[in-house]
Amino acid sequence: MVLKTIRSATDKWAHKDGDYAFMFEPYDGDEVIALDCEMTDLDPQKAELVSIAAVKIKGTQVLTSEKLDIKLQKPESLTGDSIKIHRIRGVDLRGGEVLPDALGQLIDFIGNRPIMGYYIDYDITVLNRFIRPRFGFSLPNKTIELSHSYLNKVKRANPELQPDLHFEKIAEKLGVPMVGQRHSALGDAITTALMYVRLLKGPIPTS
Amino acid sequence: MSNEFDLSHPPFDLLNSREQQQLVSSLNIGYFGKDETIIDAGQEGQAVYIVLKGAVVEIDPDVFDKNPESGAIREYAQEDLFGAISIINGTSRYMFRAIEETIAWLLPKTVFLTLLEANEAFATYFQNTLAEKARLLEVRRSEKQGGGDMSSFMLAKVGSSVLREAVILESGTSILDATRTMREQQSDCLLVKSKDNYGMVTRTDLLEGVVLNNMSLDSDICDLASYNLLTVQSEDFLFNALVLMTRHKIQRVVVFDHDTLAGLVELTDVLSFFSSQSHVIGLQIERANNLEELARAAQGTTELINGLVSQGVKIRFAMDLLAALNGRIIAKAYEQLVPEEIRKKTCLLVMGSEGRGEQVLKTDQDNALIIADDLDWPECAQVMEKFTNTLLDFGYPLCPGNIMVSNPEWVMRESEWKKTLNHWSASVEGTGLMNLAIFVDAHAVAGNSRLFKRLQSHLFNSLEGNEVFYSYFAMPLRRFSTPLTFFGGLKNSDGMDIKKGGIFPIVHGIRTMTLQFKIKETNTFLRLEALVEKGLMKKKFADDLAEALAVMSTLRLQQQLKVETGQAALGEDNLVCAVELNKLDRDLLREALHLVKEFKSRMTHRYHLER
Repeated sequence: MVLKTIRSATDKWAHKDGDYAFMFEPYDGDEVIALDCEMTDLDPQKAELVSIAAVKIKGTQVLTSEKLDIKLQKPESLTGDSIKIHRIRGVDLRGGEVLPDALGQLIDFIGNRPIMGYYIDYDITVLNRFIRPRFGFSLPNKTIELSHSYLNKVKRANPELQPDLHFEKIAEKLGVPMVGQRHSALGDAITTALMYVRLLKGPIPTS
Repeated sequence: MSNEFDLSHPPFDLLNSREQQQLVSSLNIGYFGKDETIIDAGQEGQAVYIVLKGAVVEIDPDVFDKNPESGAIREYAQEDLFGAISIINGTSRYMFRAIEETIAWLLPKTVFLTLLEANEAFATYFQNTLAEKARLLEVRRSEKQGGGDMSSFMLAKVGSSVLREAVILESGTSILDATRTMREQQSDCLLVKSKDNYGMVTRTDLLEGVVLNNMSLDSDICDLASYNLLTVQSEDFLFNALVLMTRHKIQRVVVFDHDTLAGLVELTDVLSFFSSQSHVIGLQIERANNLEELARAAQGTTELINGLVSQGVKIRFAMDLLAALNGRIIAKAYEQLVPEEIRKKTCLLVMGSEGRGEQVLKTDQDNALIIADDLDWPECAQVMEKFTNTLLDFGYPLCPGNIMVSNPEWVMRESEWKKTLNHWSASVEGTGLMNLAIFVDAHAVAGNSRLFKRLQSHLFNSLEGNEVFYSYFAMPLRRFSTPLTFFGGLKNSDGMDIKKGGIFPIVHGIRTMTLQFKIKETNTFLRLEALVEKGLMKKKFADDLAEALAVMSTLRLQQQLKVETGQAALGEDNLVCAVELNKLDRDLLREALHLVKEFKSRMTHRYHLER
């Protein structure tokens, strides 16, 4: 956290007159971005991006009409193993976006809004690995970790409980339907967004 | 993909692919907590909502505070749509509230209005009445099942299918000339015009006239002709002609186009047109010479009706056909057991749903007997006992309420019947009025129907103007609530009794009105038509009620078939579960229940049931 704060302060100063100065403005709206990326590896230092999806949340509405859904060109590291996880084959990525364009679109879409996701730090770390060399800064946005929000709420309601933090389990406990295809970036982003608005409002599971 | 927005249901399947694309890309998803108000009464509609998960109730807030049951207008569950009317009307008349946590797709107002503007079929969908909606859904359903043939087949009109040109002769034609003409025209039957009336002469008539009655070859065929002809209109369904012929055991009916003669329809032609099982059973019944043969014919009816309904034949037609077949079976059984001279002085009635012609599977025996005052028939009890057992053998279950001719209470002389009817209508307690309700649906199937007609007029006249009676009679309408709240909590819904909650209120309300206005029809659909004809009910409302009744009867039949085949528990014949219905059926059921409720409140007002 401290490292991020110092890094952001430095980035902000470096970009204060640049095209991306808006990224460092404090955010005072009521929108949040739900983000999910599909990647080739579980190690954030090695993983390549396969697809990026983001959807806006405003209040308790998930604005699926305002979304970003980018498939990227085939990265070098797309191997048999990750094909099994995501069911995205090389052929599915033919004709996808080139990475710098995709990242530019993502930054414009997110702006200075907070970013929410499931194990979101992992996604952000990978994204920053590609953003920093090209744009000269890391995403300074405030992040919200879905599994933490969920854990905190459940613990507050029943401190004894050790909730299962698997994605499907949380969705099931919250009674949120899986929207779209599981393990597609957009489907997961929308489901995550629904879980988030559900946590804001609905009753807390106590078992 | 799971939980993608489903475009395959009405009304969204009415959009073209570009419009569907436009719709999908503009959708948002909203989350609503339990008891959250989604649209408030008087609020401007901002979006059309399509429920993805959860349940929403539409509430009339003015009524809801006082009486939550009647304030709740409709409920919406998965895949249901609401909020469209609020947008079309500008503001929402009622309030929409989430009964449980609800996630819904939101179609923004601007996009919805664009689609309404661009696509006429889509726009019309939102203005349709239940009857129109049902027709639309039915067409789409049969298209999907690929079973469109049967219903179009069943919808064939008399005028455009098997109509034969009639051979018409002037009165005064001799038997000889008539026979020659028949031979030349290769016809089995001809019509003879005497004054403004048509008579019919068949080959059998000619033969019997000459051979049995010793008529000379130059006598006028007018003396041979029968003049009580049964007619249909050329725009009637061919099916109705078949039902008419089955019911009256006749071979041909005369077809009119309004007032002008259009031709004849012959049974053999109709049968070859339908070439289905129905005629086989019809013929089996007619040819049966003893009870064993009749029993065999009776076994086939259930299967026949199941077949017809599963092939998409409208339930009303199936009911009509079964009523005609059952009526003939019962009459035939009566003829086998009761000697002719006794038959002339008795009248056998079928009552309840059988009397209304609204049963689809074999229902309990509900029957009664009227005996002429001057008949002495000591064996009566014995024969009636045998009659009831015979029907039981045929597969008609005994009536649990013992409303059968084997019970002496339902076998009376005409004068005793009159007294009993007076007694029943004077009573304000349950049994008497219930018996009366059963009797009001009675329909003469065998014996001398004049006995029944006299009783019926007696009943009509004795009740005339007796407002208090109708009020008591209609009272059971309110006994069972109509559960509009039954779509909520889909997960643990126990289902509803569709007979009590939906079918009974319509049937009984219409029964009350027909009693009051001396309508002799017993079938609810025909009663509705008669009420419209007399100007007592608006056609549109009557059509919608008829459709609601048909929808609920179909659902009930499906459930009964499930019980028969062991897919549902015994005793759950009338239980309909929202969870198990598909989207189309649920839409129709919701609309139907809504109408039942509306009808009940009109009846409550009309007969002052608010006590």
